[in-house]
Amino acid sequence: MKFTYNWLKDFVDIRLPAEELADKLTMAGLEVRSLEAKDGDFVFDIEITSNRPDWLSVVGVAREAAAITNSKLKIQSLKSTSGSQSLSPQPKTSFKIEIEDKKDCPLYTAKIIRDVKIRPSPEWLSKRLEMVGCRSVNNIVDIINYIMFTYGEPMHAFDLDKLDSDKIFIRRAKKYEKITSIDDQERVLEQDILVIADKEKPVAIAGIMGGKDTEVDGSTKNVLLEAAIFNLIVIRQGKRKLGMQSESAYRFERGIDYETARNASWQATRLIEELCAGKCVLAEESGLPAPKKTKVNLSLDHTGKLLGVNITSSRVKSILGNLGFAVSFKSKGVFSVETPLSRQDVKADVDLIEEIARVYGFENVPVTLPAVKPQVSAYTDTDRVYLIKSILISLGLSEIISYSLISKDLLKGMGQYSLVEIRNPLSKEQEVLRPTIIPGILKAIAVNLNQKQSFIGIFEISKIFSAGKDNPREDIALAIGISGVKSWLFSQGQIKDEQGLLHIKGIISTLLERLGINDYKFVLSPDKSVDIFVNKELTGRASRVIKETLDNFDIKNKEVFIAELYLGRIINLVNLNRKFSSLPVYPSISRDISVVVKKEISVDALLDEIKANAGALLREAKVIDYYQGKQIPDGSRGLTFSCVYRSEERTLTEEEVNSAHLLTLEVLKNKFQAQLR
Amino acid sequence: MDIEAIKKQIESDIQNISSSEGLEEARFKYLGRKGVLAQLTATIPSLPAQERAVFGQQANILKDKIANLILEKEKLFGSPASGAMQESVDIGMPGVSQEVGKLHPITRVIDEICNIFLRMGFQVVEGPEIETEYNNFSGLNIPLEHPSRDAFDTFYLKDYEKLLLRSHTSPVQVRAMKSRKPPLAIVVPGRVYRPDAVDASHLFMFNQIEGLMVDEGIKFSDLKGILEVFARSVFGEDIKMRFRPHFFPFTEPSAEVDISCIICKGRGCPVCGRKGWLEILGSGMIHPNVLRNVGYDTKKYSGFAFGMGIERIVMLKYGINDIRLFFENDLRFLRQF
Repeated sequence: MKFTYNWLKDFVDIRLPAEELADKLTMAGLEVRSLEAKDGDFVFDIEITSNRPDWLSVVGVAREAAAITNSKLKIQSLKSTSGSQSLSPQPKTSFKIEIEDKKDCPLYTAKIIRDVKIRPSPEWLSKRLEMVGCRSVNNIVDIINYIMFTYGEPMHAFDLDKLDSDKIFIRRAKKYEKITSIDDQERVLEQDILVIADKEKPVAIAGIMGGKDTEVDGSTKNVLLEAAIFNLIVIRQGKRKLGMQSESAYRFERGIDYETARNASWQATRLIEELCAGKCVLAEESGLPAPKKTKVNLSLDHTGKLLGVNITSSRVKSILGNLGFAVSFKSKGVFSVETPLSRQDVKADVDLIEEIARVYGFENVPVTLPAVKPQVSAYTDTDRVYLIKSILISLGLSEIISYSLISKDLLKGMGQYSLVEIRNPLSKEQEVLRPTIIPGILKAIAVNLNQKQSFIGIFEISKIFSAGKDNPREDIALAIGISGVKSWLFSQGQIKDEQGLLHIKGIISTLLERLGINDYKFVLSPDKSVDIFVNKELTGRASRVIKETLDNFDIKNKEVFIAELYLGRIINLVNLNRKFSSLPVYPSISRDISVVVKKEISVDALLDEIKANAGALLREAKVIDYYQGKQIPDGSRGLTFSCVYRSEERTLTEEEVNSAHLLTLEVLKNKFQAQLR
Repeated sequence: MDIEAIKKQIESDIQNISSSEGLEEARFKYLGRKGVLAQLTATIPSLPAQERAVFGQQANILKDKIANLILEKEKLFGSPASGAMQESVDIGMPGVSQEVGKLHPITRVIDEICNIFLRMGFQVVEGPEIETEYNNFSGLNIPLEHPSRDAFDTFYLKDYEKLLLRSHTSPVQVRAMKSRKPPLAIVVPGRVYRPDAVDASHLFMFNQIEGLMVDEGIKFSDLKGILEVFARSVFGEDIKMRFRPHFFPFTEPSAEVDISCIICKGRGCPVCGRKGWLEILGSGMIHPNVLRNVGYDTKKYSGFAFGMGIERIVMLKYGINDIRLFFENDLRFLRQF
């Protein structure tokens, strides 16, 4: 909200430099966004919190400024212009206000102003409005705006002669009723929008904008001046439905009180008469009785305990008094505080405590530390996820974060998902909650391929979502994506390592083992993707990304490999307990097996056979090398296994090992037609 | 075979060696896999049982002796083998190493902030991203149809009435307090969502950290103390802080917290809008209505809460000027942290 320093000074006797006042206002909760010196005055622009509609007026800010600087207020409230005699009885005018539902409009005041002379405003008035960015129109419109900025009550002036009756109605709109608002837009109203109407038609959208047909213009002779209170929820909903915003709606949806509405109506009337712009001949009012002022009990002891500082009883009394609260003594250490109607935000003692602290100054509250009671701090899932991330980065992958909201298009060809859709997305890119992280991974890979990264290894851990019968499901997942060639510079020179599914397998195996999960298996499924079983249950899948999908992400001429795991299941299986097993006492004997076998024969099958036949002394069997090339016939490959034999009771002799080992070789030969090399 | 004789022979042999090559030969000849010593030990099983132990012992002593002699001789020749190795290394070559990945800067800062609070006795708690209207709003004293909801503009789900994407991490306050009794001191990191148009400082998804402490006698001055420890730990000992009154429906009194601009040290620069101050978080004493909603006795317990946007903290900390960089996942960006 904007105001000028001189405008403020009309209502408070204050002599601080403008910058100093700006600082004080900011530190009291009226954050000064900008302060600008202009034409011998200063324009303040302050940010108002939604709980303080009373600050949307110069007098509201003046009250605050008076309280924080201990200055004298100069605000006078009017109950009439200058006594009832100012209402000239002639000619006798009759005017009726009819409110359909007084909950929609708890107060409607109407003033009939006759003999209106429309002309430009005096310079002081038009200049003040222009200083705060409001265009000067004519004396009547300017006065209404000036009063709104000064007192916070939005008002409206109708050309009385353009209304077709001496009765005004405040009612909900009928279906398909139309109105052209003063911004020249024709608007079709819905049933629940509140309007001001004459007998025939709506003449204003209540609290939001007036109608073009009944607008005050150069030929206006008589005016109906409206100052009302409208139900803030009704205004808010109406504004949203119509997609409209106005200074008026901004104030009504935050709440206006009786004192403000009535006072502003009389202040405007007086100013109209003072500027010889017309004469008030009738004042009508309808609505509900004003609500009772609330009383709140405030304990000084509680105030001190909540803030951590003791503020004296006299200081508390003066702070609240300056802010317009009526403070009376209730019992020892307890005040009874009556709230002005303009302060509907104050409902309980904590609200008063905030007022006291604000004016006392947050900076004057000491700094203390609470006594923390130590609590058992268990190893949580948050810690487990962090451990998983640390393992993955140690394996050369970088963590990404991508959007949980995506477009359905990105899921094309990725399988069937039951999607959780968003009711109010801003764009197609936010239409569903993602059921898989893979699109995020592929988008990131596409971005980095565009940057000519030769190797990309990334992962993300986040929630994935799917529609359930009664509730949507939310699960935690891990996705990994790799692409390109990793170059290593070893002492032998450069080694180029083209990424593939085995790299994915290596990452996941290492991860699981580090997490203490040893029962896992990678199984090739008919569609060439790889099912990942953990503790015998399907827990994830890895695959080479198909071309159609790559096209969808604009990835050209590159192979991409991905995996996604249900991390929730893995987190539950994490076992970081370790048990020491004694180091072997007796030496082991190691034997290598080098064979050439048909390509279709899997390493798993060979290893199973080795383990089944090598006898109880075999401790470990693994592939240590594999090769294809000139020496190996087409359709075959060479494999080298290392077998380690050991007894825990004695030193093994070569003979014992040889017999087990030869048996194994024999079986491999017979079963797989393996050729020994 | 007479071990003594063999020993004498070998000793004189080694004495006569005059080059490091010769030394290598001798090493191979005596200590190699099929060397003299190996042959000697191989005869042990064939000896009478009572002689084996003595013979084995003598063979071992001999082996040590030879090894020592070779070592001594090696020193004379200035251990040419290892010397040659040193000469051939160009230490300007890149070291042989494995490249490790990087954590996302947001993860790093979340972890850093959580650790500050963990050291002060807080616990880390997380909650779901799909929330109920109650936990996101009503339970936090944010009434339906109130302008205060504007600030928490929200994505709603299509087929589930009253379910939404949490617009802040505060609903986890409600969950944590409902499931536990005071004393309670928690921090809550997580993703939140708001339908904001995307620009250099706004996104429709971002991360927050929420903090909460409830116990008997918790006061506003404690909030100031805890947040001061936090801000100094993250931004440095010499920063200044200020608490500005503000409005949040779930706290009363409420305060926004500014730190002196870490770029210009409070003198005023474009980053702080020439104000010298940077807003970093919102905070306040938990509104009694919120405590009542979770069934806490407001006569006995009080507490404070605070919340901040992680991206803003990361941007200030690392001098990042565009929030969109966080989710584009350009490795040239991610590898900087």
